[in-house]
Amino acid sequence: MTASGRRPLLRLTGAATIAALALTGCAGSGSADDSGESGGGPVESLTFWSNHPGESKAIETELLEAFEAESGIEVNLVTAGKNYEEVAQKFNAALSGGELPDVVVASDVTWFNFALTDAVTPMDELWSTVDVDSEGYVDSLREDYAFEDEHYAMPYARSTPLFYYNKAMWSAAGLPDRGPETWDEWAEWAPKLAAANSGIAPMVLPDGSNYLDWYFQGMVWTFGGSFSDDWDMTFTSDETIEAGKFLQDQYRQQHIAVSNDANNQFGAGQAAALMQSTGSLKGLTSAAQFDIGTAFLPGPPPGCPTGGAGLAIPERISDERKEAAMELIAFLTNTENTVKFSQATGYMPVQKDAVDHPDMKPFLDENPNFRTALEQLDVTSSQDYARVLLPGGGARIGAGLDRITIGGEDVETVFEQLDEESTTVYERDIEPKL
Amino acid sequence: MATDLAAGAPTGTAPAPSPRPPARPRERRGRGLLVAGAFLVPNLVLLGVFTYRPLIDNIRLSFTDWNISSPTATYIGFDNYVEWFTSSASHAVLWNTVVFTVAAVIGSMVLGLALALLLDRKLFGRDAVRSLVFAPFVVAGAAVGVAFQFVFDPTFGLVQDLLGRIGVESPAFYQDPDWALFMVTVTYIWKNLGYTFVIYLAALQGRRAELDEAAEIDAASTWTRFRKVTWPQLRPATFFLLITVLLNSFQVFDIIDTMTRGGPLGNGTTTMVYQVYQETFVNQRAGFGATVATIMFVILLVITLLQVRVMERGQQR
Amino acid sequence: MTTTQAPAEHTRRLGRVGGYAGLLLVVLVVALPLYWILISSLKERPDIYTVPVGWFPDPLILDNYSAVGSGVAFTDYLRNSIIITSALTVIQVVLGVLSAFALAFLRFPGRSLVLLFVIGSLLVPNQITVISNYALVAQLGWRNTFTGIIVPLAGVAFGTFLMRNHFLSLPREIIEAAEMDAAGPLRMLWRVVLPMSWPTLIAFTLITIVNEWNQYLWPLLIADDASVAPLPVGLAQLQDTQGLTNWGPVLAGTVLTMLPILLIFLALQRHMIKGLTAGAVKG
Repeated sequence: MTASGRRPLLRLTGAATIAALALTGCAGSGSADDSGESGGGPVESLTFWSNHPGESKAIETELLEAFEAESGIEVNLVTAGKNYEEVAQKFNAALSGGELPDVVVASDVTWFNFALTDAVTPMDELWSTVDVDSEGYVDSLREDYAFEDEHYAMPYARSTPLFYYNKAMWSAAGLPDRGPETWDEWAEWAPKLAAANSGIAPMVLPDGSNYLDWYFQGMVWTFGGSFSDDWDMTFTSDETIEAGKFLQDQYRQQHIAVSNDANNQFGAGQAAALMQSTGSLKGLTSAAQFDIGTAFLPGPPPGCPTGGAGLAIPERISDERKEAAMELIAFLTNTENTVKFSQATGYMPVQKDAVDHPDMKPFLDENPNFRTALEQLDVTSSQDYARVLLPGGGARIGAGLDRITIGGEDVETVFEQLDEESTTVYERDIEPKL
Repeated sequence: MATDLAAGAPTGTAPAPSPRPPARPRERRGRGLLVAGAFLVPNLVLLGVFTYRPLIDNIRLSFTDWNISSPTATYIGFDNYVEWFTSSASHAVLWNTVVFTVAAVIGSMVLGLALALLLDRKLFGRDAVRSLVFAPFVVAGAAVGVAFQFVFDPTFGLVQDLLGRIGVESPAFYQDPDWALFMVTVTYIWKNLGYTFVIYLAALQGRRAELDEAAEIDAASTWTRFRKVTWPQLRPATFFLLITVLLNSFQVFDIIDTMTRGGPLGNGTTTMVYQVYQETFVNQRAGFGATVATIMFVILLVITLLQVRVMERGQQR
Repeated sequence: MTTTQAPAEHTRRLGRVGGYAGLLLVVLVVALPLYWILISSLKERPDIYTVPVGWFPDPLILDNYSAVGSGVAFTDYLRNSIIITSALTVIQVVLGVLSAFALAFLRFPGRSLVLLFVIGSLLVPNQITVISNYALVAQLGWRNTFTGIIVPLAGVAFGTFLMRNHFLSLPREIIEAAEMDAAGPLRMLWRVVLPMSWPTLIAFTLITIVNEWNQYLWPLLIADDASVAPLPVGLAQLQDTQGLTNWGPVLAGTVLTMLPILLIFLALQRHMIKGLTAGAVKG
């Protein structure tokens, strides 16, 4: 007659559990129905969701204070994550029925899905309302956000890959103090680097989990190939396959190593060269204890894709807020401020005339490596749809590149699969929504 | 007989003794229900609203094609399920999950028990070592991922350094899928050891000392004493850990995300939860992500029901 | 008698030596990664990644720690973490103990189902609950509030299950005697059951503190600023994204986040004292 329980759960079945679940009722939905603040009147404050790319919180705060002084609009800066994926996650949560920000950071691979689902607003009309000179922006950076005659974001913390090299190892190998002009030249230099510096990798690249697909994209272009031509997949074109084989061959000959932590391998003097984002320039310079040289990615151009993040405005906020948000974006990315931002972070200035800004000249003289990065902008090109617009594109291609390097699999087979998978994803997830 | 005892009960907060003993069983049951309700309802409501409501939502969404950023989801029946079950990637993911979970459960439970037994004794420096064993459990998963780069990195790592001293080359922990899975499993066990350790330690500390004393008088060997006296008393804790460690390791995310992002070769260390995350938030296929989550839930439900069944049988003894 | 005593003495000494050897090994394996976190937080940036490995920080610097203090509103985040963790720990321990008591000692219809309902909620990963809960919390107007962070996390399944299991393992005769005493349930819980449960209750409390202290994803979604965001969210802004993370301050932040919890552990584990149970049985 004791009340302490020894009753077995033996007879419980899954069905009983489901019944128990049903008792809780099924409210809720995954869909959005309301938007953020609405209503008229002048906008007094804005909310800006950022992950402070490039340790930029201090400079962001400074710029926002300047904006408030100029416009009288207070800006609430929110840390929305530690990377672009987390910001996107928080934004998606807000889309499901929360309060939307007025400006949000969107990366090269996240903006398009927001555009496709009408989560962010097209900007061309706002440009004329708020009087933004869109032509002042670096063309390739602005056009990265173009889709069907509209633009869905403005360039902000933009970067490109850059060729880094260890000057001491370069001179030990008797090489001229510059980067290789073509990948063929690299193939000639690599054995010299290996011979002169025993035990090191001539070049190290981040692996497929760390955006090898981004760095390889430029390489593919120099071979005349590409991942895709608009929405047509081109992984199986002769040129693309040739580039894949070149990468595989360089890997096999140990001219190019692939690493989970390429940055630090290079920084610790374990590799003679590195392809890495311009965003790493400041970090690498302060972490490395040797002279770092920088160069354009091997050509012929275009051999270098753009990357990084832009600023977008949610669709479901009021028109007044959109206009105020556009003013904020225009302010953050105007010549004077993009110069400040890029000097503080190492990202590319996004205005064409930034190079001629009086603050830029002395800075470039002091930081010749940054000059390389800036000059390379002219020969960069917008990325292939298969990598940035197709959902999961980067990870998919990265995995394929892992397979042909680390995995040693046949290039044709892997690229054919990439072609098929990408086409499937396009037809399933994108085409019906266009 | 009941009245005697009731009369002897301490007064104060206890309700007045029942004047009519024959009515007690029913009355008591009624009161039991009331009290049980008061004790349980707040918790059940919270779990219902914040865990089961989303779960049901999730099950509903698993039958749709839903882009995470889109306000609308399209009903597509079992398409997502068909896709998951027929995809070769899913099989790899399922396999990774099984290997990881089994290794994590066995590894962390055996080691946790061993440590708890060791640190249950009176040894010099015991308190400090207890804290040390618990410490990894306190570190956030993301920081663990960073710290273990210093352990496993083939260029900078400790393992590489130690192996190098005996002339052995470090395995390619980040590039060979098997070694990568090994690496995240070891890391997870290291981090989770504090959890199994504390539960086992609590069970050991809470055990009935008089049984131990009896065994000591019998001068039974250490092993016999453990098997005959200690182990049976640890059985509830063991079953509890079997269930919770399995559930926790099935759901590991941080460590994989910071160490390998599910790679190498695409899905070398992708487990089901990581796939849920990937599909939902990276590929924006929230409907498909919900499907993976639902399948995972069903798998776990079956395993847990089996475990609970065994556990209840054990407790009946 | 004398023949059995000597070997027993012998094994005991062997056991002791083995114990210390085991202890040493554990210290090494568990401590090394922790040691790396610690020394890396004391190193200058170029010294963190070197070949060969640098076992000691040279020079030893505290800059990373001051960087944490100056780079983020550390004290605000610390305060928020303390508020969130204390509230959640108190709520969860109370709810967990009460629920477990009901499931272990009270008779009511559908008890097994309720237990399964509780355990079942452990099967749901938070990746699938966050979006749905976010929508609800936003509708309730709880965004960027402590309520919004705390309430959705307050349900307790793990602790209920743990305590219920422990309660069932308590000596039956004592429980029955207490029931015979017709003590009220709260009284029985407080006077009889809990005194026999301190070690497990402390384990429950410790694990709850750790889990809530390290909550990241949910507070990140709900919190917008330093008025409510806890430490892990606050420290996230130290991590660079596309560039090269400066691990020194990040690891310093990790160490600072860990310390308070380790102190709590050190304080609480002393109370996991053996013998209370025995006392209760005899008394």
